Amino acid sequence: MKKLLKTTLLCAALAAGTVLAAPAIAQDSVNLPNLSYRTGPFASTGIPLMNGQRDYMMMLNERDGGMNGVTLGYEECETGYNTEKGVECYEKTKATGIVTQPWSTGITLQVLPKSNVDKIPVLAPGYGFSAMQDGKTFQWAFNPPASYWDGANMILQAISDGNLDSLKDKKIALLHLDHPYGKEPIPLFEQAAEKHGFTLLPIPVGLKEMQNQSAQWLQIRRERPDFVLMWGWGAMNAGAITEAVKTKYPMNQFVGIWWSGHDGDMKVSGEAAKGYRAISWSLPNSQAPAMQDIKKHIVDAGKSMIDQAGGEFDWVFYQRGVLISAMLAEGVKVAQEHFDAKVINAEQLRWGLENLKFDEARIAELGLEGMIPPFSTSCADHTGHSGAWMIEWDGTKFNKVSELLTADRAAIDPLVETAAKEYAAANAPWPINEECKM
Amino acid sequence: MNLVEGIFVKPFQDMFGAPDFLIQVLWEGLVAGVLYALIALGFVLIYKSSRIFNFAQGIMVVFAALTLVGLYEKGVPALLALPLTLVVMFLLAVAIERVVLRPLVNQPDIILFMATIGITLFLIGFGEIIFGGENKVMITEQLFIPTGSFTFEPFGGFVSIEQKDLTAVIGAVLLVAGLILFLNKSKMGRAIRALGDDHQAALSVGISLSTIWVLVWFIAGVIALATGIVWGARAGVSFALEVIAFKALPVLMLGGLESVPGAIIGGLAIGILEKLFEIYWGQPLLGGNTETWFAFVFALIVLLFRPQGLFGEKIIERV
Repeated sequence: MKKLLKTTLLCAALAAGTVLAAPAIAQDSVNLPNLSYRTGPFASTGIPLMNGQRDYMMMLNERDGGMNGVTLGYEECETGYNTEKGVECYEKTKATGIVTQPWSTGITLQVLPKSNVDKIPVLAPGYGFSAMQDGKTFQWAFNPPASYWDGANMILQAISDGNLDSLKDKKIALLHLDHPYGKEPIPLFEQAAEKHGFTLLPIPVGLKEMQNQSAQWLQIRRERPDFVLMWGWGAMNAGAITEAVKTKYPMNQFVGIWWSGHDGDMKVSGEAAKGYRAISWSLPNSQAPAMQDIKKHIVDAGKSMIDQAGGEFDWVFYQRGVLISAMLAEGVKVAQEHFDAKVINAEQLRWGLENLKFDEARIAELGLEGMIPPFSTSCADHTGHSGAWMIEWDGTKFNKVSELLTADRAAIDPLVETAAKEYAAANAPWPINEECKM
Repeated sequence: MNLVEGIFVKPFQDMFGAPDFLIQVLWEGLVAGVLYALIALGFVLIYKSSRIFNFAQGIMVVFAALTLVGLYEKGVPALLALPLTLVVMFLLAVAIERVVLRPLVNQPDIILFMATIGITLFLIGFGEIIFGGENKVMITEQLFIPTGSFTFEPFGGFVSIEQKDLTAVIGAVLLVAGLILFLNKSKMGRAIRALGDDHQAALSVGISLSTIWVLVWFIAGVIALATGIVWGARAGVSFALEVIAFKALPVLMLGGLESVPGAIIGGLAIGILEKLFEIYWGQPLLGGNTETWFAFVFALIVLLFRPQGLFGEKIIERV
């Protein structure tokens, strides 16, 4: 009852906050909308991420009075991870927002052409279309600190101990959501399969089959792949882990992308899923100064929506949400300083996101030590290629089990170039940033 | 391998070449089929007694399962949480009858159908406010549902049967048997059937429409709870469970909207056939994921020959 009351009050406060904040936005705020998904089949993935994003922004407002005296207006528009609703949210928020955070590869692909016309930066950290790396072609789109093609390449390095040729004659299954997100790594894997001589076996999972993947895992039992890689989201992750346990597939040969490494999903299988690994560009560090500030100003003050009893504060996804907001807030700060302006506009934020510098010193200054690898963006590189770590489920939580892996740019860049050219040609006339000389 | 061989020869070679695997496929199909049948039964019962296509059946599965797990998380012992969840589902049935259905008596079917969409939206919002949208672990062990597996080694291979799947099948069979017994032997059950056969005649002999509506919505709630426990035990309890209700649509097309045996046989047929098709034809020839459409295509083919479904009533209207 206490939680119900708390949640209701928070919802009311959030709604009231949005209404009350509206007149102030033009004065001393920047509006940073988030196309969130706290409802629907993917809510279990979305909730901790959105909570992390929201709490970091609120913490900056509480602790520092915003960014350089400007309130960071965090506003959610619920999409339910539905592409049509996502586009509606984009249209609804574009008038006042200086950024759009689409939170789905499907929505990202839909708003990508619009962002050129509306001149609003699309921020899709660790998701979206991998070719968004090419900042000259995708001037308004950003996917720091690593793309799906980075993730795919790093997973291949991890399972081959850095020697991709050792995968020759092996069979690798790609269990993926039958959705633009799930299909995104396929070109990279196909290219690697051809080059290094392994067999790629894509196994799609439909939305309605997410919780009943027996057919997919029967195929895995029949095909006996050497590795199963997973591009799962929401309920698909828990469904796959459960089936893997049931099929007795060796957990140390089962590896997921960063959206398939969620504490909430793993708890369904608990101990039985021990040994499952995922690649992750973020690590939880609850003792980091920024996290402690969130605890002090937001969580302990009763302003957070997290499930404290369930340990959400320590989850990989909650703290990844924090990092995503940290990237955005840093983009605002960089832009403010460069343009010597307090209330920046979308075009100025685009410059800020294009000049992010998360080096060791800045990460420490932000109080995010050990949570994210260093990376920086430029007008030519909108990803930053931070690298990532392998994390492993020990039955109760994820632990880091590898040194920092970095993606092989030589394998990825030609694919990016081709995909970017194809995209620009298919959407001609498509503006290219000729001013970028990098 | 040419296409003809892939369609007519290879699948059967695979079946006979690895009979243990075929048994596993059939078992998985049977389990899925039983679950589809359960969901379809929820639709059939309500349609039979009130001519309402209950769009809210999927969310009722989620709501029932979340209530059970939510009560347990609040400290209620599992064995007490179960009857308490049934009480909640009964209260929900009463509320739906009083607030939604009673004011809409005699309205066109489409209005009532739209009302069930309203119920769906309400339960999504209400459920999320109370329980949150996070994935929750079903209290399988606390409900004494066994979680191990039996492994057999027929034909030199192996077949693994999850004890919770076996429990689900047995539980579903008992539930359906009890339901059939109730519908055929009890006074209230006969009243439901009478209402399904002829509304006016049933009302004229004193059968209370509101009582029956509460009863069928409550039974649909019980079925939703059983379905929620079984599906939730597989991959957790979350709002993603709602989408499984769509799997019941081809079952209803196949079995007929008003037939209890149709829902059961339709569910089993679709569960087994879609699994066989996916494994032996879909994955090798079409790249897999045929389960998303196979059942609909199969039901459509059946409808071409039997427009009323396998067990539906043939309606002849004079013009």
